[in-house]
Amino acid sequence: MKKRYWRCFVCNDIHYGIAPPELCPTCKVLNAYVEITAEEARKILGGGTNGAFTPADFRAAIERFASGQEFMVNPDEGKVETLLGGIFENEKNHGFKFCPCRLRTKDWEEDLKLICPCHFTIHETYKGVPDGECWCGLFVRRK
Amino acid sequence: MARLIMFHGRECPHCKKMMPLVEKLEQETGVVFEKREIWHDEANADLMRSFRPIIAAKCGGQLRVPTFLKVETNDVMCGEVDYDKLKAWAAGPAS
Repeated sequence: MKKRYWRCFVCNDIHYGIAPPELCPTCKVLNAYVEITAEEARKILGGGTNGAFTPADFRAAIERFASGQEFMVNPDEGKVETLLGGIFENEKNHGFKFCPCRLRTKDWEEDLKLICPCHFTIHETYKGVPDGECWCGLFVRRK
Repeated sequence: MARLIMFHGRECPHCKKMMPLVEKLEQETGVVFEKREIWHDEANADLMRSFRPIIAAKCGGQLRVPTFLKVETNDVMCGEVDYDKLKAWAAGPAS
């Protein structure tokens, strides 16, 4: 099923998915989402930008993302620094924070799977692997 | 001599780790790898994409780096390996 864009008619939260959330996670209003076009979503999201998002901001974001999970950001600082550099180079040159250790195929749906953090918990480098990590090594299984 | 390609990414830690091993192998045995960086060179990226069915089949369905390819035989090895495995792969017949 194809994903579409939805807008909360109360607070303008944007949702991208097969169906909208029943409860808006921001304003907590029930059944508040109406379908909009991708162009409308882009305009709303573009207008809401709050300035630069630096590698340090992204680092903080993925630390929060990994907090309490069975995985964590790799404690190897050198590796993390290299990877964040690549992720931001890819965003500058190719539009998204693509994984530096895989190549985009130019197939839209496939390439969305390469945006960091990717769904690495289902990958064979992580799932069921005691010392598992995502393909690039940004995330590793917590000891 | 077989045409060997190493697809790699400039900011890929696994590639950084493999590069000295590849260079050591080249010095020791005389084999030569075409080193193709795929995130900053679109021609190299297109070359890797042209081998997508062959590479993806051996690399978890994706175009991962580092990937080593023997063009004539379509033999593929991807990821970080130790020196002996790299050497055996470069010298060995197609798997």
